[in-house]
Amino acid sequence: MALSSLEITTLADAHKNSEPQEILKLALESYDNIAVSFSGAEDVVLIDLAARIGKDVRVFTLDTGRLHAETYAYLEQVRERYDVAIEVAAPDHNELEPFLAEKGMFSFFEDGHKECCSIRKVGPLRRKLATLDAWITGQRHDQSNTRTDVPVVQIDPAFSSDENSLVKFNPLANWSSQQVWDYICENEVPYNPLHAQGYDSIGCQPCTRPVLPNQHEREGRWWWEDAKEKECGLHSGNLNK
Amino acid sequence: MMHITMVKKIKEDGQPCRKCNDVMGKLERSGQINSIDHITYADERDPLSEGLHLAQRHGVELAPFFIVRESNGEEKIYTSYLKLVREVLNGQVSQRDELMELADRCGALDYV
Repeated sequence: MALSSLEITTLADAHKNSEPQEILKLALESYDNIAVSFSGAEDVVLIDLAARIGKDVRVFTLDTGRLHAETYAYLEQVRERYDVAIEVAAPDHNELEPFLAEKGMFSFFEDGHKECCSIRKVGPLRRKLATLDAWITGQRHDQSNTRTDVPVVQIDPAFSSDENSLVKFNPLANWSSQQVWDYICENEVPYNPLHAQGYDSIGCQPCTRPVLPNQHEREGRWWWEDAKEKECGLHSGNLNK
Repeated sequence: MMHITMVKKIKEDGQPCRKCNDVMGKLERSGQINSIDHITYADERDPLSEGLHLAQRHGVELAPFFIVRESNGEEKIYTSYLKLVREVLNGQVSQRDELMELADRCGALDYV
């Protein structure tokens, strides 16, 4: 069943305060060609919730080729625990090999992470999403300033095309990090051992580091980049000086 | 005749922003720079700079951006360099450039 843009907006409004399990159930009942995006971190909650709903769910992950060994082992642990075939999207060698030949293995420390991420994450993700009608993410409002308004369901603003609207469900949008971890502990959900080493946010090995207590998880990513360099905004405040 | 203005940003430290530099490099390497009629600056140190006023006039919040004025006086704003290349400069866009632009738009990847 494909939902119109208006129906998506109506659903988002109707379910803005719904529990994750209810939103996940809605997603799985609304779309057959749908999959959960699993990063190998605390978004494992989505897989556990789906298992409790009792519906078969497709799960995919992005293997950038630079993940921690612990994350690869954890992906296998989740595969076995939930008896789910995790579909793996990998970088296109036609993009990756010339990039590495030209810039080497650690160009992100000089040029910024976007180019490497575009090849190792964006390309594979776009390719995978092009095969789906809808996807389910673990995005939450408390993860960053850019996510405070993420609705529980939306037309994907980045990966929809003129011809095809991709629907994105964010069942954990309203949950805090604490609620996610309470769920993991109470339900004995397996978690990535890197979390116990201080990694709040888990990505590629060279680009992720542990954070201190009370540091935001965002500070464990791409810490060498000047925050001002991450955007090229033209701030209206400049006109009012 | 079509007229294209490019607006680049100068940061408070006097340096051009990285993205403006990247786009400038691509324009120069491709020779498309010859199609740009006027380059001006949104200088964070100078609230009266032409680029900042153009940004305010057109409601643009990202740099670099392009103003394409058609012969009939109609103006269209491009905040995407690749869209400008495709729609105005009739150029080819590489997959890597496409993915880079998508990465720019895709905050979701921070946590994937």
